[in-house]
Amino acid sequence: MTELTLPNTPKIPLARYLKQAPDAFDQVSVQADSAVTVSQTAAAWPVRSAVDAWLGAPPVTEVFIPAGYHAEAPVQVTGPQTGSALVILHVGAGAHVRLQDRWATSGQQLGVGVLLELAANAEVDWLTYDAFTAHTAIVQRTAELADHAKLNWTVAGFAQNSGASLLTVNLNGTGSQATINVGVLASGSQHVGYTTAMTNNGRQTQGHINQRGVIVGKAHLIFNGIGHIIKGARGSDNQQENRVLMLGSKARGDANPILLIDENDVTAGHAASVTRVDRTQLYYLMSRGLPESLAKRLVIRGFLEAGLLEITDPALKQALFKQIDETLVMADA
Amino acid sequence: MSTLEIRDLHVKVKAEPEHPEILRGVNLTINSGEIHALMGPNGNGKSTLAETLMGNPRYLVTQGDILIDGQSIVDLPVDERARLGFFLGMQYPAEINGVTNAEFIRAAINARRPEDDPIPIMAYLKQLDETMAVLKMPEDMADRYLNQGFSGGEKKRNEILQLMMIKPHWALLDEIDSGLDIDALRIVANGVNQMRGADFASLIITHYERLLDYITPDVVHVMKDGQIIETGGPELAHQLEETGYEHLKAGEGND
Repeated sequence: MTELTLPNTPKIPLARYLKQAPDAFDQVSVQADSAVTVSQTAAAWPVRSAVDAWLGAPPVTEVFIPAGYHAEAPVQVTGPQTGSALVILHVGAGAHVRLQDRWATSGQQLGVGVLLELAANAEVDWLTYDAFTAHTAIVQRTAELADHAKLNWTVAGFAQNSGASLLTVNLNGTGSQATINVGVLASGSQHVGYTTAMTNNGRQTQGHINQRGVIVGKAHLIFNGIGHIIKGARGSDNQQENRVLMLGSKARGDANPILLIDENDVTAGHAASVTRVDRTQLYYLMSRGLPESLAKRLVIRGFLEAGLLEITDPALKQALFKQIDETLVMADA
Repeated sequence: MSTLEIRDLHVKVKAEPEHPEILRGVNLTINSGEIHALMGPNGNGKSTLAETLMGNPRYLVTQGDILIDGQSIVDLPVDERARLGFFLGMQYPAEINGVTNAEFIRAAINARRPEDDPIPIMAYLKQLDETMAVLKMPEDMADRYLNQGFSGGEKKRNEILQLMMIKPHWALLDEIDSGLDIDALRIVANGVNQMRGADFASLIITHYERLLDYITPDVVHVMKDGQIIETGGPELAHQLEETGYEHLKAGEGND
């Protein structure tokens, strides 16, 4: 047996986090129509890294979405009120699915694992909404894509916890495509890191990462973007953008783009920035009479919105905007 | 009746205190009801004057004063000046993601009203539709993000839309004609002309007489080297079109 290693997470003290065992495991709840089957299984969690080993072998909720499934209503996964949880979602060939996972889970040290498998030609719109109230959470979400599968994934990180969020997309099948948009609002004394990895294993695969983070108070937010094109993944494309906006002198932000390219016939690119509020934009809004606090809120909302662009649910969007406004008003006070 | 008085105004770029002043003693009085045109070669302080009047924090007044009816506004921040009635139609309006045009203009109008008395939404939308029709703007521009991805011409038109919706007392229009084709120029000029009245005054910065064919100014000023070196009636603009600025007195420009 080969030794399990930790994933590469620059500036995130993952090994230190993993010294403390995860909180006891509970089950997620799943809401979907009758074509979707849900079962609780023991020890089904694949162990590929030291994080998987840390999660252990608790009960796993498995969700099967059959081949050819088409539905407008989303398949909804809701994290438990308190405690760690694991879920595996299998999406059958050619299925078209809207998927949501929402977490407002409390606890001391959560271990959360979500594994999404897309069979050939499956298409998934995935919305992740993190509103953990736990102290610390180690969250691992992985998507595996077979031939010509498509994933459009938005992650809204509006949680209070510290810890690490590991988002991984593996473009295994030929012609598979994925976009991951991440919008994070970090506040208080939160110390949280995102490592978002997109790996092109298959030929003619396309993977895009777009991360936007706003940091207020004394929070520290780390964005790692890891684009990896494996040898043999000819004709592939891997792009990433990581942007962090800091408010207040005590906010800290890092944006680390990493590109690993082992194949010649590919395109890849990255952009990263850590900035403060754009003075030109503030001036423009204020020159129309908007008070500074309101102008600032609008600029910040706009910045974050670029990571939450794909959220079409108006109620959720409103809720997120409201949370942004409230967080910023508190930061102003 | 209200008066804007600029008295011996000297201005520097705040971040470059070692550099010479851009404005070197500007004197200008504008009464409500009047339209003034400010002409002159590039890099001689026209935009700096407009930005300083608006309160752009990039600029520092080192001497002189700006007064409205005798009250100095030099120490007021930009948003307070806006609520006092200043408006700057900018040469390069900022693009702001996530905030729709309609939402923004409503916030600007409400910023001028008591907190418990916002503009009724139906009345606002009606006014917005009508004003956009005057400016021949497609309806979807209300729901697009503020200036985001707008063409140069659309941005200029959008500045005039805001002007007409906000209804300021003092409109500073900085090269509102640049980048406009002749039809768009007519539409924009028509918008400004609709604002004319006893409660409205404007300082229009332009390089070209063309705009002044559509918006007839009451007074024309020429700025060179940080000072106003000549003032006259509308005929001055026509003369300049023929003779250029070269023969005028004062020193070289900054660029």
